[in-house]
Amino acid sequence: MTGERSNLRLVAPAQHTEGEQTNYELDWSIMMARAQSGDGDAYRRLLTAVAPYLRARALARLGSPEEAEDAVQDTLITVHEVRQSYDPGRPFGPWLVAIANRRVADRLRRMRRRHKLSEAAADVVGNAPRRQDKTVLDNRALEAALDDLTPEQAQAIRLLRLEEQSLADAAAQTGRSIGALKAATHRALKALRRRLLEGPRP
Amino acid sequence: MIRTPELIDVLAGELKPVRRLRSPVFRAACWALVAAGVVILLAVSQGVRADLAQRLSDSSFALALGGAAATAICAAAAAFALAVPGRSRLWALLPAPPLLLWLAAVGRQCLTHWVRYDAGAMMMGDTARCFATVVLTSLPLWLLMLLMLRRSGAVRRVLPTLAGSLAVAATAGVAMDLLHALDASAMILLWNFGTGTAIMLIAALFGRTMPMSSLSLPR
Repeated sequence: MTGERSNLRLVAPAQHTEGEQTNYELDWSIMMARAQSGDGDAYRRLLTAVAPYLRARALARLGSPEEAEDAVQDTLITVHEVRQSYDPGRPFGPWLVAIANRRVADRLRRMRRRHKLSEAAADVVGNAPRRQDKTVLDNRALEAALDDLTPEQAQAIRLLRLEEQSLADAAAQTGRSIGALKAATHRALKALRRRLLEGPRP
Repeated sequence: MIRTPELIDVLAGELKPVRRLRSPVFRAACWALVAAGVVILLAVSQGVRADLAQRLSDSSFALALGGAAATAICAAAAAFALAVPGRSRLWALLPAPPLLLWLAAVGRQCLTHWVRYDAGAMMMGDTARCFATVVLTSLPLWLLMLLMLRRSGAVRRVLPTLAGSLAVAATAGVAMDLLHALDASAMILLWNFGTGTAIMLIAALFGRTMPMSSLSLPR
C-alpha cells in the first residue's frame, strides 16, 4: 500500500534516493488535494502515512513517547483545521513541517511549565511524611497506590522519589530518556495525588 | 487521550470539501479593492480636501500618497502569505521599501511645510474629524483583515497581525492625505499598531483554544 511504503521511506530517508523522496511527497500532495475535495479515503491514507514521520520528529525533540503522541495529534488536528490553506501547486513537506514544528514547540512549552508544577507538587508529597512522622502516608497505602500506576510510572516514582536517584542515574539504569522519565513522574504524581487524597478507585 | 488511529478516523469521517485559499497576492488585491471602496465612500461623504489638485503636483505629497498605497497592498500580501504554513518569513520584508518611501516622503513634507501651518488655525473640530476618518477607515478594514486571517494562529500569530496592522494603517494614511490638510501619519501608525497589539493580546488569551473547539472529538 502506498501509505505504508511512504512511512518507511520517511522514517528512514537515508536508505532511499532523492527521486523516491520526491515521489512520495508528490503522493502526499495529490492525496491532500483529494482531501480538500472531500475524499475521506485519501485523507485517511495521508494522515496514516504522515503520522509515523510526525512521531519521529516529535520524539526527537520531546524525548517522551506520550508527549510526542500528543504533539502528533495536535498536528493532525491543526492540519485538519487549516487544510484549505494548502496549495497543491507547492510542495507538501514544508507546509506540514511548519505546522508540526509549531505544535511541537507549543507542547515543549507546556512540558516545561508542567515540569515546574510537578517539582512543586513533588516537594509537597515528598515532604509530607517526614514532616508528620510517617503518619500521613501509610506505606501500604502507597504500595497499593503504586500498583495502580503503569509499570513505567511506578518505576519512575520508585527510582526518583522513593530511592531519590538523580534523573541521569535513573535514565542510565532504565535505558529511558530523561524526558520520558520526567513525563512519567509527572503523570504518576498526578495519579498518586488523586488516589491518596480521594481514596482507592471503586 | 484518544488514540491516534481513532483520531485519524474521526478526522477522515467528518471531512468536508473545502475551498482552497487563493494566492496571497490575489487576496491582497481583493482586500485592497475593498480598502479603495472604503476610502472613496469616505471621500464622497466627507469631501476631499480643497487643495488636493494643487497638492498632487507636489512631488513629496504624491510620493507619500503612492508610498502609503503601495505599503497597504504589500503589507496585506505579506500578512496573507505569512499566515500560510510553510511560507517564508521573508515575506515580512515586502512592505519595507514602500514603507520607507512613505515615511521619507512624509518626513520631507514635514521639513519643508511645517512652518506654513498656522497653529492657531488648527481647531479642535479638525482633529476630531481627522480621528473620525482614521477610525472609519480602520475599523471595517480591520474586521475584513481579521476575517481573512482567522486561521492564521495555526503557525504564526505576531507577524501576520503586524503586517495586517501596517496595511490598515497605510490605508488610513491614504484617506488622511486625500481628505485632510493635517498630516497625522504618526497618529495613524500609533492607533493601528495599538489596535494590532490589542488584537494579538486577545488572540493570545482566547485564540489557543479556538481552533479545537469546532471539533467534536471523543476525548
